[in-house]
Amino acid sequence: MTEDSEDDRIDLPDQLVDELTAVVRSTRQVFAAAACSCALATEGGDALRFVAADGAGASAIVGVTIPVSRGIAGWAALTGQAIAVSDVEKDARFARDVAESTEYVPHTILAAPIMSSEGEVSGVIEVLDPGRQDEESRLGEQRGTSAELTVLTLVSSQVSSVVRLTRGLDALQTGTLSPGTAGGHDAAALTASMQAVAATGPEGVRLARAVIGAVADYVQTRR
Amino acid sequence: MTVPAWSEAFTTLGPVVPLPLPGPVREWAWEGATGAGVKVAVVDSGVDGSHPLVGGVDGYAALSLDADSEDGLRVDEGPHEDLVGHGTACAAIIRSLAPDVRIYSVRVLGSNLKGQGSLFLAGIEWAVEAGMDVVNLSLSSKSPRWFGPLHEAADLAYFSNTLLVAAANNYPGPTYPSQYASVVSVAARQGDDPRSLAYNPDPPVEFAARGIDVEVAWLGGESIVATGNSFAAPHVAGLAALIRSKHPGLTPFQVKSVMHAAAENATDHRQGASGAPGDIPV
Repeated sequence: MTEDSEDDRIDLPDQLVDELTAVVRSTRQVFAAAACSCALATEGGDALRFVAADGAGASAIVGVTIPVSRGIAGWAALTGQAIAVSDVEKDARFARDVAESTEYVPHTILAAPIMSSEGEVSGVIEVLDPGRQDEESRLGEQRGTSAELTVLTLVSSQVSSVVRLTRGLDALQTGTLSPGTAGGHDAAALTASMQAVAATGPEGVRLARAVIGAVADYVQTRR
Repeated sequence: MTVPAWSEAFTTLGPVVPLPLPGPVREWAWEGATGAGVKVAVVDSGVDGSHPLVGGVDGYAALSLDADSEDGLRVDEGPHEDLVGHGTACAAIIRSLAPDVRIYSVRVLGSNLKGQGSLFLAGIEWAVEAGMDVVNLSLSSKSPRWFGPLHEAADLAYFSNTLLVAAANNYPGPTYPSQYASVVSVAARQGDDPRSLAYNPDPPVEFAARGIDVEVAWLGGESIVATGNSFAAPHVAGLAALIRSKHPGLTPFQVKSVMHAAAENATDHRQGASGAPGDIPV
């Protein structure tokens, strides 16, 4: 086994894996989908690595790395644009070999980019075959790929916050980010993230306060 | 956000007052034109000239970093392939509107659809020096570092009679050169009419064209359905090529004024742009 090159690395704290696993599980249930997965971009931005999945083919897809030039998920990462493809067999972007390697070949794929606060793509969340007959969708009348894509885009924006905050907290805990000290750039990024979270509404304000409180407590213990 | 950034701005537009051009303006602007005599550069991931919807490429420039050269760049003017499909999609849209244009592929992006700011800048400069009439830029930079150099290149293009048509990023935020007043900035808009144009007087994006769920050419002679500001810009570049073909004496700002007058929400007290008095369909 060779070491990942710097560009192939992914900042993937254990807690983030747990968070994303919970996200894909509940998202799959909401969509009554065959599967849901989440891939994060490598630091160089050339590839996506699946880090969490639930449903058909889940165990096979986790750990798989694909170039961003491949697949429907790759398209979402390349363009920063959500996409719904209702018949993937007819779409030249579909990476059939990747699907076959998981032993589940979907008919419909929804994919939405996970954006960083700087507007870069940090990953993709993907739903395979939403609205299966044997499970009840929680979307009610919000069925059909257009409405479903709107919901998935909303989920992806929440996942963006999860990725940013979890990575930020992990950096604090591991000492790679020093708020209020020489790490002014990282501290500023954290502040900006918290402002973005607070701007989402009362829940966001409460969350931002909790995080900032945790940061303050942490800094206190380090003094 | 399921539609590209800035698209929403074009759903509730009020009327804008155009120059009193001969009417119906859209007919005067481009009717009967084929793009003959107009050179259009597609600065992108390359163009597959063999794709049936592209119908050939008249010239190539592939830019890459070269530590051994004086300016750190290398320009290869031999034929190249499209590394993604994105440039081929843009070129085919331009061809569909302006079948007789001469298309030049200026490759500055890699297989991840990303590129160096220095290559992007050099690609624009190459197109200006090569005397392109229209340059399609379905790409942009978010980096403040490139604000100044790209602004300078956009001004160079403007005063060299080269019209830059620049897509805004799909994600909100300032992007260059779409942000500059000297270019024609474009976002995607719902609709099936490839000649649809709408004008937004509020910055940062001035024009919108078809770019949502568009069937576009892709690698391997295939087509895909795609959404993005990237696919709206070549619709505008194609219309600009038609205008420049029919009215070769116009400067970039005059072409922009014609497009403003040809927008579906441009109307005056005499006659709507589409020829129907008071018709404001957006």
